[in-house]
Amino acid sequence: MRGLEELDHYEILEISRDASFQEIDEAYRILRETYADGSLALYSLFSEGDAVVMRERMEEAYRVLSDLTRRREYDETRRDEKELPPAFASPAYTSPAPSAPADAAEVDPNLLPLASSPSRDTEIEEPGGGVWDGAALRRARIQSGLELEEIAEITKVGIRTLRQLEDDAFDDLPATVYVRGFVMTYARTIGIDPARVAASYLRRFEESRSEQGRGRFLGRR
Amino acid sequence: MPDQSTIHSNSSSAHAQASAKITSSESARSPRLIAIGGGKGGVGKTFVAANLAVALARLGRRVVALDADLDGANLHTCLGLPSPDVSLADFVAGRTLEPEKLLMQTREANLQVIAGTHANLDTPQPEQNQRVELLRGLRRLAADYVLIDLGAGSQRAVLDYFLVADDGLLVLRPEPTSVENAYSFLRAAFYRRLQLGARGYGVREIVREAMDQRNERGIRTPYDLMREIEALDPVEGRRFMEAMRGFRPRIIVNEARTENDVKLGFSVASVCEKFFGFRADYLGYVNYQKEARDSVRARKALVEYREASEAATYLKRIARKLVDSSEAKTFSS
Repeated sequence: MRGLEELDHYEILEISRDASFQEIDEAYRILRETYADGSLALYSLFSEGDAVVMRERMEEAYRVLSDLTRRREYDETRRDEKELPPAFASPAYTSPAPSAPADAAEVDPNLLPLASSPSRDTEIEEPGGGVWDGAALRRARIQSGLELEEIAEITKVGIRTLRQLEDDAFDDLPATVYVRGFVMTYARTIGIDPARVAASYLRRFEESRSEQGRGRFLGRR
Repeated sequence: MPDQSTIHSNSSSAHAQASAKITSSESARSPRLIAIGGGKGGVGKTFVAANLAVALARLGRRVVALDADLDGANLHTCLGLPSPDVSLADFVAGRTLEPEKLLMQTREANLQVIAGTHANLDTPQPEQNQRVELLRGLRRLAADYVLIDLGAGSQRAVLDYFLVADDGLLVLRPEPTSVENAYSFLRAAFYRRLQLGARGYGVREIVREAMDQRNERGIRTPYDLMREIEALDPVEGRRFMEAMRGFRPRIIVNEARTENDVKLGFSVASVCEKFFGFRADYLGYVNYQKEARDSVRARKALVEYREASEAATYLKRIARKLVDSSEAKTFSS
């Protein structure tokens, strides 16, 4: 727990370090309203001064992170300074609830009109041996009648990531906590049991990772 | 499932089957306690509690809904039960020490209720040792979820349920009074947690000072408080951090009418993190719906009364999310 002055740009915007531009933009728009003058969420709590500081930090964070070149430079300098800050490295922060992008993806479906969510009545077949791999996910998705684009739209998980999930492209996927969030969101969206599917998917994912040695992923854990 | 005082028995066999499945696979675990508070009266705590209870039961989970609002106990009414014969009042008065003897069966196969008071008794809040005993009893119930509908206000009795529960749900309505009370509730709950965690007398004193807004040390936020404690005692500083991490309320916005109302949940979560220094999740919102009021008049949960209504769908979504997040934790490494 740190004061505003100690938070980095990502923490100020409450996004993960691999947030997409869309996620950055979304986070910024919500925060801009949150800390605007007369915002209901600030009622009785923030003094005018607090909100001003927060607004300045937020603008600066957005200015840097929304520009690919500036963001890269910023990431470089941060990497030289230290590894992940303690709040994010601590297990209590990353688990049991998944990381920031998974959180965001979990809440987002709530914001969409009901029409876009699939009916839970669709019968989806269990895969052979109960193993949920990428191919099983794809089959289940096709049975649920959803296109990859629609899932991306509903979950706000990038289409490239979704494709990597379905292709079992374990090397290209980010750290486990994120993948767990992605799989659960995916499963929930097409109406299959998120916990069970994620457990099954992650078992294979983790196996593959441990075979290859984890060194290259450490920076992202 | 204990099977006494069955008042209604017109439950569908589908639900009964679902419950049997759960019993066989998960009966060994103790139930997950979910407290539903919000500081202010009239924001819909009981409405949300009743609906989540029915929704969870219909997901095949065994649910007990406990009415801890002893001043305005009416959860049983929202769930269509007549005036109860037994209630939490029996526990408080020492007539029974077994919460399972207070269970009343509802129309839902998987849902039982412990009423707050009965026979217009003026029931005092349970003393702290009784609360500890009650919570111990609740953990022993043969259920998957125990939902605790809290009273209004920020008294200790209310706060302690919120703190002890596995999930603390905070219901708020998009209006300044509700937001203000929600923050004072969270502040009080948070400091209460710290107070319980703080050992050294000096630290306890600082926490008490911090709760008084016009304090002389200039402690205004938990962050200021942490600095103060750390300077005094680094060990207590670390304890403070630990206490802070486990505190993670989950927000529900009730009676949302506009897009801005919906976004309020994100905003409040952000403010909790930036101002108080703890994380809060936005669990979901329930849109304003006229039928919600009708359902209360019909003494039914909305998810039962108008199952397909938009608000019912959002309530079911929140229930689904509770299940996903709590049951997923079993799998996390």
